[in-house]
Amino acid sequence: MTIIVLLPLLHFVFAVLCLSWQRGTRGIIVAALLIDTILLGALFAVLDQAGSISITLGGWGRNVGIELVADRTSLVFAFLTLFLEGSILLYLWREHLQPYFFMLLHLLLGAVFAVLFAQDLFNIYVIMELLTLVSFLLVGYGKRPYQIWASLKYLFLASLGMGIYLLGVAVVYYHAGTMNLGLIATQLTEQQDTTWVLLASSLLVTGIAVKAGIFVFSLWLPAAHASASPAVSALLSGLVIKMGVVVLLKLAAIFPLSGSLLVLGSLTGILGIIYAITAYELKYMLAFHTLSQIGYLLIGIGTGSKVALSGTLCYAFAHGLFKGLLFLAAGSAIQATGKKDIRELIMERSNISLVTRAALLIGTLGIIGLPPFAGFCGKALLNAGTQSYVTQIVLALLSFGTVVSFAKLIPLFRFKGGGYLPRTKSLSFLILALPIVLFFPLTHLFVPAWQWQTSLNISVFIKNLVVIGMGILLARPIANHFPHLEKRFFRLEEAAVVILSGFFLVFLLLLFA
Amino acid sequence: MLMIAGVTVAVILFGIGLLGMIFRRDLIIKLLSLGLVNGSVMLCLVSLGSRANGTAPIIRGPGNTSYVNPLPQALVLSAIVINFAILALALVFVMLLVEHYHSTDSQRIEHEIKREKEL
Repeated sequence: MTIIVLLPLLHFVFAVLCLSWQRGTRGIIVAALLIDTILLGALFAVLDQAGSISITLGGWGRNVGIELVADRTSLVFAFLTLFLEGSILLYLWREHLQPYFFMLLHLLLGAVFAVLFAQDLFNIYVIMELLTLVSFLLVGYGKRPYQIWASLKYLFLASLGMGIYLLGVAVVYYHAGTMNLGLIATQLTEQQDTTWVLLASSLLVTGIAVKAGIFVFSLWLPAAHASASPAVSALLSGLVIKMGVVVLLKLAAIFPLSGSLLVLGSLTGILGIIYAITAYELKYMLAFHTLSQIGYLLIGIGTGSKVALSGTLCYAFAHGLFKGLLFLAAGSAIQATGKKDIRELIMERSNISLVTRAALLIGTLGIIGLPPFAGFCGKALLNAGTQSYVTQIVLALLSFGTVVSFAKLIPLFRFKGGGYLPRTKSLSFLILALPIVLFFPLTHLFVPAWQWQTSLNISVFIKNLVVIGMGILLARPIANHFPHLEKRFFRLEEAAVVILSGFFLVFLLLLFA
Repeated sequence: MLMIAGVTVAVILFGIGLLGMIFRRDLIIKLLSLGLVNGSVMLCLVSLGSRANGTAPIIRGPGNTSYVNPLPQALVLSAIVINFAILALALVFVMLLVEHYHSTDSQRIEHEIKREKEL
């Protein structure tokens, strides 16, 4: 039981240690990794027996106290955190950073573990605000004007979003008399009049959507993720965005959100892809893909069947791995050449180390979902989890768009000698690349065997290969005839207006779906 | 009564804050508006916990049962701290921007950054 208290709390201790004992930063890194691995191993063993465990802190009972719950979902995300933590700390091993950077890193990891186990709406609010603050400081760490502006924009919009979320919490507390998610669920079954759920859930969803990387709400995301330093981008895109999705998963378990999440998922998926196809700056393109891949996760949550939820978990795990790898590799490619544009990177690819390019290739194969790689498993489960043809077509369209957009990178992989890369960075790529390649055996730890039997057959393989082949063939004509896209929404004022209109959209969706 | 008044004022303040965030171009005023938005949410939370003729939730001996709900007040306390941190850090970042661009106009900063990128 104490494991789920220790996991977040120890990281806050490490954060303080990083500041007070500056010469021992590397020792703290190794200690943190070891302790996390041991604790997660223990948690895995416990959950394998019990299914889920919970603990109520403060001695006040579930109604007022803070309840922490660990189940299969939080375990999957906790392992993703461990992988990303190991890889990023290795990536930063040789870099000269201030101790305060590592403090922020540990605060971020502690907050991430805390979200995973949180079971209380207000607790979630506090942790999400902590995540906002820490990622705001991490994005602006380089202190270049464009980074500062991107992070300030992020802070404005995320704080507005969390304000809206807190309003939703107030509505829930007024009507249900509790903020504990489990108790709210029992209240909902007992109460006769539940019209307040409409207002409450649309406020909560809008607030979280700003942080979860959903297209109409998270328009701060491309600038923030593209201008941060590589390790920070990898963490934000691979992990912090997922925390919004985790909260949405928790909300969807008690409020009736499925229809609206399906629509929002398709919307963010398709719009993200459209913008990604026209983006030629490597990190911007990856950031737009974060927006689009969240679409898969929302569609999975919205579908709601057991197989689809496993697919969501699978894809969230896979996305964390390959997006982290892509951002790290893209960052070191950009550092090696000094160029940001994909076309210029291709011209100067002889300066990019072969390892970096191999990492980019593995990440790309993962994200487009070539059969044994990571993306494929999640896509197959999501596809098998839904009965509706519309959803299946949207999923196929998303895969197709991803391939079209990533086809821009193909010339980068053409063989040509490479530059130098420190060994620690190669190792950090390996930590993420290995599970991407060996993803299928890994999933047996959290996906029951019967779900694989229903979702894996020859037609899924063929469908995926056909989509990938068509995407590569049609990539050039599509990219050449693409219309010019409006970029004004990404400014601060317009993004705030869009969030507001997004709220009305969610409200209408919940009303009619 | 108190509750309805509180919620109404909160909604109005929320609207004013939002309009300020959207239509004023000065970053400092935008930040103040953000503070107003978050403050209005807290007002809403506190007034939902109020009750007619309620006293402060401090129990002195038996017999005093008409105190207001203490939980929202405790929650708002932590929300105030969070929003203080947000405003303080955001002001530091605005300061860094002003040092560089000598302006707090959001559109001008956006324009300058776009131009720097194209160079």
